[in-house]
Amino acid sequence: MLRLLRIDLLKLTSYRAFWVLNILYGLLIIGIPSGVIEFLKWLKSIGADFDNFDPMKIPILYFPDIWQNITYVYTLLKIFMAIIVVITISNEFSYKTVRQNIIDGLSRGDFLKSKLATIFLLSLGSSLLVLLTGLITGLIYTPDVSFSEMFDGVEFVFAYFLDLFGFLVFAFLMTILLKRSALTVFILMIYRPVELILIANLPKAIEGIGNYFPLQSMSNMIEVPFPRYIFREIQDYVSLGFVAVSLLWIVLFVYAIYSKLKASDL
Amino acid sequence: MENVLSIKGLTKRYGRLTAVNDLSLEVGRGDVFGILGPNGSGKTTTLGILLDVINKTSGEFSWFGQPPTKEVRKRIGAILETPIFYPYLSAVKNLEIVAAIKEAPTANIEPALKKVELFERKDDKFRTYSLGMKQRLSIASALICDPEVMILDEPTNGLDPQGIAEIRELIKRIAAEGKTIILASHLLDEVQKVCTHFCVLKKGSLLYSGSVDEIGAGAVTVEVMADQALDGALKNWTGAKEVKQENGRYVVTLAEDQSAVGLNRYLFEQGLVASHLLTQKKSLEKQFLELLAESENA
Ligand SMILES: Nc1ncnc2c1ncn2[C@@H]1O[C@H](COP(=O)(O)OP(=O)(O)O)[C@@H](O)[C@H]1O
Ligand SMILES: [Mg+2]
Repeated sequence: MLRLLRIDLLKLTSYRAFWVLNILYGLLIIGIPSGVIEFLKWLKSIGADFDNFDPMKIPILYFPDIWQNITYVYTLLKIFMAIIVVITISNEFSYKTVRQNIIDGLSRGDFLKSKLATIFLLSLGSSLLVLLTGLITGLIYTPDVSFSEMFDGVEFVFAYFLDLFGFLVFAFLMTILLKRSALTVFILMIYRPVELILIANLPKAIEGIGNYFPLQSMSNMIEVPFPRYIFREIQDYVSLGFVAVSLLWIVLFVYAIYSKLKASDL
Repeated sequence: MENVLSIKGLTKRYGRLTAVNDLSLEVGRGDVFGILGPNGSGKTTTLGILLDVINKTSGEFSWFGQPPTKEVRKRIGAILETPIFYPYLSAVKNLEIVAAIKEAPTANIEPALKKVELFERKDDKFRTYSLGMKQRLSIASALICDPEVMILDEPTNGLDPQGIAEIRELIKRIAAEGKTIILASHLLDEVQKVCTHFCVLKKGSLLYSGSVDEIGAGAVTVEVMADQALDGALKNWTGAKEVKQENGRYVVTLAEDQSAVGLNRYLFEQGLVASHLLTQKKSLEKQFLELLAESENA
């Protein structure tokens, strides 16, 4: 597996677009908490008056709230990382290098594994950056931090990892099916809204299955946290049930990619 | 002799089109084997199946007497149709990927690049290469694993005469090292110049398979003209395989071990004098066209 990862990284490490997109995504992760702070400061400066409440005191970036808040926002941005996956994999088809890789001695399974290894590494790297960003931001803004509080809710970072990994595997599948990068990115962008519309229009009798649709089940791992600031009840933990469902979808996607590769003339 | 490749009843259908039709072939160790056929005759499809990038419809094949696996492909150096590399990477980086896939030592990269005379340009990006350089790089890439077999598909396609000559020289040099080479081409001339054995494909079917020498040997003809009629005498000559009359000339196909000298001596002994004698080695081209024409009539 490490050999296959190394092969894929040889292809990517001199590819400028790969680094540019990765760095942009990294900046996005680091930038968002500062963006939130600037927004709160702005609210304060225009004198928004929440019954004499200082907007800076909303605990959005305080431990332990921060974990669910930031990971939820980050899951909305995964399309940016998916673009990297779509471009690098569709390149293999447009340059026909996948064909040469097989000729040279990879099996189709090896090709799949090498791409999955890279996707895993990208997801892992992003998650570590999220963890670091969360820790530092939390340390800066939380009044009276205690060590035990810091990691309370850190499992949301794991959920973020799984959500990102699942989406990237989904993007891999779409690329294999559609081949062309612009089309694939377009489909990936409209897929989620389409899924939401579908779920909203399910007949009453089978309404429940909407929660098990691919991206919906993944997004169910981390629920929208913000209603809690207007005193609504939310799911403030990672839903293990949907972790399991997400894992199932990932296995299914990988199997679909493998079947498609196996059946194709390259 | 041990076979490097053996194909039995290989067939590939694309819907109603049969691209490869019940093909059976044997390629021996050390052969330079030409797969000759006009465009669309199924050469690339056949090679694609042998290299596992195209799924066969039916049939069997084995490399080195073993069922085909990725491990076997690591011992083969092959290029199909056009050179394929990552355009944004340098030659060296591209070959590092090939070496990693084939589990070949990266130390092989430098000698391979030198052999194809690309060492000076090794750090330039692939997309800046001319077509001839791209073809040469793909040969270098096929050499990375010090392969037992090299597969080349139309390696001189689109090159200028100098480029063609360079590539053919290169192939001959590699063949001289004793490597088995399988070369697909629609150019007879190329097969004749480079190969020891060849087969002819047409519309996916095998028309002929044999050695290049063999087909050259039985194919000498002599054109004869004289003031007298010669048919009787020529037909009685034991050295003639076939005698034909074409616009006032006789075309005699010689039996093996015969030559125009023998023919002339025989005529003289019969009291006949030829006014014109011309030996013609029937070119592979002629035979190739004949083979294609025969299959047309069949
Ligand atoms: N992917 C494909 N789909 C349908 N037909 C194909 C495909 N690839 C090749 N063919 C057809 O198969 C035949 C053999 O093609 P090919 O093997 O490329 O010939 P050659 O290499 O001898 O020029 C041609 O008629 C070609 O049009
Ligand atoms: Mg071809």
